[in-house]
Amino acid sequence: MPVSLNYIFKRIILSILVVIGVIVFSYILLLYTPGDPAVKWAGNPRGPEARKAIEMARRELGLDQPIHVQIAQFIYHVFTGNLGLSIAYKVPVSQVITSGFTATLELLVFAYLLAVPLGLWLGIYSALRRGSRFDSFIQSLSVVLASMPTFWLGAIIALISYSTTGFLPYGRVSYKLAASTGFNPITGFYLLDALIQGNYAVFLDALLRIIPPALAISVYPIGVVARVSRTLVAEALLEDYVRTAVAWGVRRNTIIKHFVLKSIIPPVIQISGLAFVYSIVDAMVVESLVFGREGLGSILLDSLHKADFRVTIALAIYLTIFYILVNTIVDIIQASIDPRVKI
Amino acid sequence: MPPSLPFIRLVHRNLRKYRFKIGLSITIAILVLSLISQYIAPYPREGLGYVPVGEENRRLLHPSPQHLFGTDTLGRDLFSRVIMASRSAIIQAFSVVFLSLIIGLIVGVLAAYFKGLVELVLNYLTELFMAIPSIVIALFFRLTLEAGFHVVIISLVTTWWAWYARITYVYAKGVVELDYVVLAKLSGLSSAKIIMRHVVGVIIQPILVQAISDLGSALLEASGINFMGLGLPPGYPDWGVILYEGISEMGIMAFTRTPWLVFYPGLFILLTTLGFTLLADPLREDLDPRLRRRWKLWF
Amino acid sequence: MVLAVRAGGISIGYIDEEEEYIVWAVRGVDLAIEEGDAFCLVGESGSGKTTFASAIAGILPPHAVTRGKLYIFDRLAIDESTWNFNGLRGRVVSYIPQNPGTSLSPFLTVEDHFYYVLRDTLRYDREKSRKAAMEALLKVGLDRGVLEDYPHELSGGMQQRVLIAIALASNAKIIVADEPTSAIDANLRASVLQLLGRLNREYRVTLLLVTHDLASTSIVCNRLAVMLAGKIVETGRTISVLRNPQHPYTKMLLDCVPLLGVKKPLKPLPGEPIQVVEDKAICPFRERCPRAIDKCVEEPPLKPVGDEENHYVKCWRLTGVESG
Ligand SMILES: Nc1ncnc2c1ncn2[C@@H]1O[C@H](COP(=O)(O)OP(=O)(O)OP(=O)(O)O)[C@@H](O)[C@H]1O
Ligand SMILES: [Mg+2]
Repeated sequence: MPVSLNYIFKRIILSILVVIGVIVFSYILLLYTPGDPAVKWAGNPRGPEARKAIEMARRELGLDQPIHVQIAQFIYHVFTGNLGLSIAYKVPVSQVITSGFTATLELLVFAYLLAVPLGLWLGIYSALRRGSRFDSFIQSLSVVLASMPTFWLGAIIALISYSTTGFLPYGRVSYKLAASTGFNPITGFYLLDALIQGNYAVFLDALLRIIPPALAISVYPIGVVARVSRTLVAEALLEDYVRTAVAWGVRRNTIIKHFVLKSIIPPVIQISGLAFVYSIVDAMVVESLVFGREGLGSILLDSLHKADFRVTIALAIYLTIFYILVNTIVDIIQASIDPRVKI
Repeated sequence: MPPSLPFIRLVHRNLRKYRFKIGLSITIAILVLSLISQYIAPYPREGLGYVPVGEENRRLLHPSPQHLFGTDTLGRDLFSRVIMASRSAIIQAFSVVFLSLIIGLIVGVLAAYFKGLVELVLNYLTELFMAIPSIVIALFFRLTLEAGFHVVIISLVTTWWAWYARITYVYAKGVVELDYVVLAKLSGLSSAKIIMRHVVGVIIQPILVQAISDLGSALLEASGINFMGLGLPPGYPDWGVILYEGISEMGIMAFTRTPWLVFYPGLFILLTTLGFTLLADPLREDLDPRLRRRWKLWF
Repeated sequence: MVLAVRAGGISIGYIDEEEEYIVWAVRGVDLAIEEGDAFCLVGESGSGKTTFASAIAGILPPHAVTRGKLYIFDRLAIDESTWNFNGLRGRVVSYIPQNPGTSLSPFLTVEDHFYYVLRDTLRYDREKSRKAAMEALLKVGLDRGVLEDYPHELSGGMQQRVLIAIALASNAKIIVADEPTSAIDANLRASVLQLLGRLNREYRVTLLLVTHDLASTSIVCNRLAVMLAGKIVETGRTISVLRNPQHPYTKMLLDCVPLLGVKKPLKPLPGEPIQVVEDKAICPFRERCPRAIDKCVEEPPLKPVGDEENHYVKCWRLTGVESG
């Protein structure tokens, strides 16, 4: 069913409400869980500077003001990206979060650029050869792969990489190499930065390190997209318009390319979007604990260990915002390529 | 209970399917294991997480007849830990899915049955909770509560119920408009009766099948949260926790030098999830006429 | 005379999902359509008209099973259970489907539809196909504006005319039209039928028109076959069959529709449509026939009627077997 414009509009309104809901909820959590909110916001400081830090946190939050003012202020801070200094990293929270997002997004986008076309191809190919050995192999494989914990698969991939080539894909880039070649990340997407600067050694290094975790992450979307596109192709092959086109003498390849594929692209985009938001968590787990890459995962773990409350809360809020943003964008893309929806 | 009868018939119809048989065997095996593991585990105390005292030389032993899966970083028998963790997996998967299903069913059916404000508010709540990543909830709980089952279960249920509410709503919406429901309303049957008998009774099958296949996803997500160290406390017999200890305490080199620490718990997650998927897939195909139809590239 | 379509004892059935039984939609049909004929196939819903028409168009679904032989211009297209429609579809036989709403791809414009059809059948390029499309659209009374439209932007009647235009554009020798006027207004209906009739007369396009509307047959067709439960119970020249119906079923069909120039009281058609699961040789009309006799538990042969040319009927009553 095509997504209507009206629906997207409602969606956006709702999304804003959801985001505000999460922000308010975070703030209430800060206020009403055991302990002084100012102390928590200051990150349980110790030592001589503690009093000052707590006072500053109290002022930042405006704890002496009525609750609705505090909340409004907090929402304002969230939307302006102004949540103060991170306790653990000593840089603005927004900067910490941004760097985390770029790192994790680079990995995710890389994985999805790999996964969606591959899944689509597998799904279509096995649908067109239904019942063949290739089809049943892909079917069984996708069931097994979908049952694997991503982090476990990541560990196995790392192990295979290490035992066959002796290369351990750890971190985002070799810092020695980066320092010696004067690599200077600007956008935070290392692959992109290295290409722009023409630093091919770093590019290759970053590429080799991103492929194993991306492979682990891509298994889930490959399976999902392959499964869904196989069913969609099957359904499309039964459509009246395909039958009619056959009767008109349209060739098989034309039918597949122009009649079948065009109809499955919008739902495939939608399902990829759903999978994408699911994969964010996957990526956070895999990148930090298995592959030792900096990103949202490592920031989350760090902020928890170091009681960096601001970063934790900011992460939760911005993650939700991002989650909703992806969903909404996917809906809009889907609507804009479906001719049945007027833009 | 009326809804269970067609469901039993559905299961019965699919019993002879090869995939269903495998799925059922795996699921039953894991269920049985979760019940008896503490009696068959060679080192049940270590399985529960106690570190053996005075046996420092038992750390990180390779798999051997004494220790089928080897020992972990603290010298505990990995086989005992892994098989005893099946209980935690079953508890998490089933309670997450069961609780989400109940909440989702209630919300979804009510939203579809009572129109107007109730529908609007319940649908808003559904969208609200669908839009929150479960890891965010886990984070919130982690900030406020002690580690334990409740963290994993509540943080998953908080987002999962909304999916069931959504599919229930969609199915139920199709049913409440049907003549016989309208007639039942006109005939003065109480709402509770109509909802139970004519709405829930009709839509329950596909939702139950969805729930069975979700058991696997619930386990995977719960393991992810435990693996991040956000859920169950260290040392707890849980596959996610065991994997976490295997990887994080040993550093990245864990799986190159001591692969068994990582391999076995993951394998059990894989098998259990696979069991649930294989169980649900044939049922889903049976219920969905679109998947049943024979199609092929015929031109 | 060249035969455009020749069916020799053709049966077509659909296998059910569990592959346990076959629903026979067409059962042992013998039929010959000469080149240049305008042939009407009439019958009630479920009698197997669409099934037979899609066999000729080469678009039986994969779960259809066939017996017998089907020749199209002396090419063996269906030989028992094997099918071969290569080179026939689009170029020799074209098709106007029954449901205009679902028969055009929602993701392609009308122009794209024309283009892919004409490119694959006649190797036209964009330019040429656009010109051909405009010509064809003109014939069905649509202006070139619809070329840029997507199907959902057209009304049901316009969609149907687009379908007709596309089917005409590739200059096929046989056009199979499955109730092409079902979604069109009454005033347009006549003109579309006239258009099909004109194509048939002027360009000698062989027409197989499926309909359950007897009134339209008299406008277009010179030959007529009445189908009932997968069998042809009466066939002949249109005039001959309409003026002088022999089979009780045909008579009843004629009783319930108004015909141009014939004054008569209208009667509803009694009984329910028949669906055939097992292939038993009985007269399919037996249960509903007002003049059934004991003999009707056996299948009657197709016998010529009097001295009318090509007029055949399948009824024990007309074979000299009386009362029993
Ligand atoms: N794709 C199919 N799969 C299974 N059975 C089918 C299929 N299409 C038709 N049938 C069955 O074959 C029989 C004949 O159907 P068909 O569509 O040929 O009838 P028809 O004469 O075209 O009817 P109508 O006037 O309603 O279009 C029916 O009993 C129908 O149930
Ligand atoms: Mg029909």
